[in-house]
Amino acid sequence: MSELLQDPFVQSSVLPLLVGLILVGVLHLLRRSLAAAGIAAGFLVVFVLVIGLPALPPPSSMGKLFWASALGLLLGVGADAAGLRGRIASAVLAVWLAASLLWIALPALDSVAAGVTVLVLLGTAAWVAFARGSEKIESPTAPAASLLALALAVGGTALIGSSASIAQMALALAASAGGFLLWNWPVERHGWGLSGRVATGIALLLAAVLALFTQTQAAVLLLALPALLAGRVRRVIPQGDGLIGRAASSAAVTVVAVLPALVAIGAAYALTGGEASPY
Amino acid sequence: MKKTLFAAALFAATAVGSVVPAFAAPVSYKIDPAHTAVVFIVNHVGFSNVIGRFDTVGGDVTFDKDAVEKSVVNVTIDTTSVDTNHAKRDEHLRSPDFFNAKEFPKMTFKSTKIEKTGDKTGKLHGDLTMLGVTKPVVLDVTFNKDGVSPASKMETAGFSARGTVKRTEFGMKYGAPAIGDDIQLLIEVEAVKS
Repeated sequence: MSELLQDPFVQSSVLPLLVGLILVGVLHLLRRSLAAAGIAAGFLVVFVLVIGLPALPPPSSMGKLFWASALGLLLGVGADAAGLRGRIASAVLAVWLAASLLWIALPALDSVAAGVTVLVLLGTAAWVAFARGSEKIESPTAPAASLLALALAVGGTALIGSSASIAQMALALAASAGGFLLWNWPVERHGWGLSGRVATGIALLLAAVLALFTQTQAAVLLLALPALLAGRVRRVIPQGDGLIGRAASSAAVTVVAVLPALVAIGAAYALTGGEASPY
Repeated sequence: MKKTLFAAALFAATAVGSVVPAFAAPVSYKIDPAHTAVVFIVNHVGFSNVIGRFDTVGGDVTFDKDAVEKSVVNVTIDTTSVDTNHAKRDEHLRSPDFFNAKEFPKMTFKSTKIEKTGDKTGKLHGDLTMLGVTKPVVLDVTFNKDGVSPASKMETAGFSARGTVKRTEFGMKYGAPAIGDDIQLLIEVEAVKS
């Protein structure tokens, strides 16, 4: 069992999927409106299991990523428990995400390229924070599919770029999002809330670490950004009647959302020749 | 490493005491990067040992022959210069999985104490800072030779050091223990009077 848990594939897929499924399920029983918090919570649990609990204050970007994510989860749970919505919730998310990005990026801000990277990340953070604020109906499938796609893109790109721990954590986040999606398929049971949006923010923080602290071709992640338009895709795709129809439309939204991520991973592969570190 | 150099000089003073002034002033040396190597050996999943080195190493030594305990050794290693003869692996080693070179571009060693164990050998104690974590390490050091180098015509001291560090103690946990936790160090140094 111990050897199984040491397997990087298990750590990046089966383990976070199970942890995500279980945590979303527990939160579903305790307080349904907090179920999306299971994604970020699952990510943090797997982080501790695989990498260990980072020191506080954290000396490195990965440690900052963990503690910023933990704070985001607390904010998300607090906001969702208090029923905080709309622009105030978006503002809370924006402040947390911008502060976290700058905290992580600060040691790497030594060039114009790094500055541009941070500006792109902040712009994307603003998109994540405010774009969904105007939506009246909060369906969890589209934003969870966006998160799944972004995390997959970061994980795949990191794997190709020889940054294994970032890859593992990003894929763990994707798997945790997958667990949430399974809970909401074919019937959508949960809201997305600030907790879910925080999980999307964590994908951005992972992208920041990848882009700023590794030699990975992280610019390809721009190709994955259309995944954030999954909500619009959902409006375009006909919502079927009955269980099968709903299952099909949710699956279609997820597949369409993941396509840009596959393009980004393909671009990373093409740019590097696909050679990975031999360790 | 500088501590090691210091120890080497101490041992040199002991060995060639007849040529050392009775109350010599502290002497400053600079590490000669062209004749210095910091090599590491790490177990690879039990199959073999991977050998790597840092191509950029610098530092200085202030050696006081009369009060060696007051001598100072400082070494700085550029973590971006890690070289295992495989570009993709080196890229990985510079990533946050290992040396996190963007965030921690330097690794430093500062000596704290030297114990003499023989005519030309000793134990060099010092603080190694890697990934923002500082831990004490001990190296076995051997003084090789000092004097004017026939090549450079400069006052030169040379020594060798060996030791082991546990990388996980510095927070470098990725892949351990499959990729070995114990890192063997092989250090060869020449330093010239500055």
